[in-house]
Amino acid sequence: MAFDPHSLRQDFPILSQQAYDHPLVYLDNAATTQKPLSVLDAIQDYYRSFNANVHRGAHYLSDNATTRFEQARDTVARFINAPEQSHIIWSKGTTEAINMVAYGLEHLLEKGDEILITSLEHHANLVPWQQLAFRTGARLRILPLTSQGEWEDEYASYFTDRTRIFATTQVSNAIGVHTPLQAMLTQAKQHNAFTLVDGAQAVAHYPIDVQALDCDFYVFSGHKMYGPTGIGVLYGKSHALEVLIPYQTGGEMVQHVTYQSTQFNTLPYRLEAGTPHIEGAIGLAAACEFLTQQDRHALLAWEQSLAHRVYTRLHKESHVAIYSPEKHTTLVSLSVPNIHTLDLNAYLDSQGIAVRAGSHCAHPLMSQLGVAGTLRASFACYNTLEEADRFCDVLLEAIDLLTDE
Amino acid sequence: MTDLPPYNSIKQQLQACRSKEETFKALVALSKRLTRLTAEEKTEENRVKGCESAVWLIIDNKDDTYSIKADSDAKLMRGVLVAILSLVQGKTKTERQKMDLKDELESLNLGSYLTQSRANGILAIIEKIKK
Repeated sequence: MAFDPHSLRQDFPILSQQAYDHPLVYLDNAATTQKPLSVLDAIQDYYRSFNANVHRGAHYLSDNATTRFEQARDTVARFINAPEQSHIIWSKGTTEAINMVAYGLEHLLEKGDEILITSLEHHANLVPWQQLAFRTGARLRILPLTSQGEWEDEYASYFTDRTRIFATTQVSNAIGVHTPLQAMLTQAKQHNAFTLVDGAQAVAHYPIDVQALDCDFYVFSGHKMYGPTGIGVLYGKSHALEVLIPYQTGGEMVQHVTYQSTQFNTLPYRLEAGTPHIEGAIGLAAACEFLTQQDRHALLAWEQSLAHRVYTRLHKESHVAIYSPEKHTTLVSLSVPNIHTLDLNAYLDSQGIAVRAGSHCAHPLMSQLGVAGTLRASFACYNTLEEADRFCDVLLEAIDLLTDE
Repeated sequence: MTDLPPYNSIKQQLQACRSKEETFKALVALSKRLTRLTAEEKTEENRVKGCESAVWLIIDNKDDTYSIKADSDAKLMRGVLVAILSLVQGKTKTERQKMDLKDELESLNLGSYLTQSRANGILAIIEKIKK
């Protein structure tokens, strides 16, 4: 493996600390990644050099801030190969972006219409659709993907002429499996459904081309791809964004207001009420640039090799149940019968290892797997082989300590 | 229940822990002293809401003799429960209500085993014990 994470780690000073007198091993990257210096610098530079409100054009600083803010939109557009920057709508994150679509499309739904999602969704791509179904009388249907994520011919019957919206994750946050995206999107399009892809777990690892995917909406968060928290993206095709009723109204999203009526602004501003998260957008653009400067294939291969290392080491242990695929994933989700994942997590934490234990905001999927929760080790480009091995060693120690004789 | 270690020795043991790892091991050792509930006793009604792990608490205070049983699906929580049961065992209702259970538990040096998401659960347990 040509890739060496050790030099990359110097961009992430947070990683070189001790946790409970052990070297910190950060394997909770699917929850949030750490931020490189270039992102931290971009945020600080904004506040030190050109902090002002945007789109007011009233003065020197505001012009600077507006230029950089719109450049950030352009950087993000290029990052996911959106045709134009007006297709990029800022949001707080993936959750808000999905809610913007769920509220924005409400006026098009009728009783008896169908909203289709998969069985591998995070609650963020489930609850907004369920609530939309409650409000409109539409029916929420679940495409029962297996934990292997493969396409089965019988799935086609779930796409009907009543399917108005099809929403799916690209990669499962809980188990790391890829959904059969292209096959599902093809079906959805044949039935003229709006399509939304939740890319929250994909953007940090896989180069994204929204035009190749050809989905109506693509959503993701900044903080899971080395960017700041509180900023995310709703990408949409023109016609899809045009039909959205603004989820929030107020300043910045208007052209003219009287007491009787309001003329909304054009895209993207029409969907961005209020002062935006300027530092977030600038930080996210810096994160896009950080990733673009890397050899992304090498990064992905490295991350997958770490997950594969953990898989092969723990797969041999008869008492460890692994829910993630053997290959093509950057995380390993597992459980140990008769040992609570919180107990495993507590021991790992006591040794300085950060992972995530629980249901990963995917209660229905946990039921499908027949577990209350799993322990998830998720990798980023700065993780090392030593860290992957240390996770395995300490997990096996924890199992020993927690097993009753 | 009668074989619970005395509260003072639990307190000493936990306060002597100098690292998160030592506390972990002490709680694992304590957890072994808990008399487990039967499957029939682990009802939804006996379940304490707000705990990250499942916790069941059965309190029987018909007359003056107070009986309390508890269980959890997580081992470290069972260790914490042993400390709590040992603390309130044999106390009358008035004594229990007078005690500052939260303060007392905080003195045990349990750190992150008691804080954050677990705190709600522990508070719910305390509420139930005080009734």
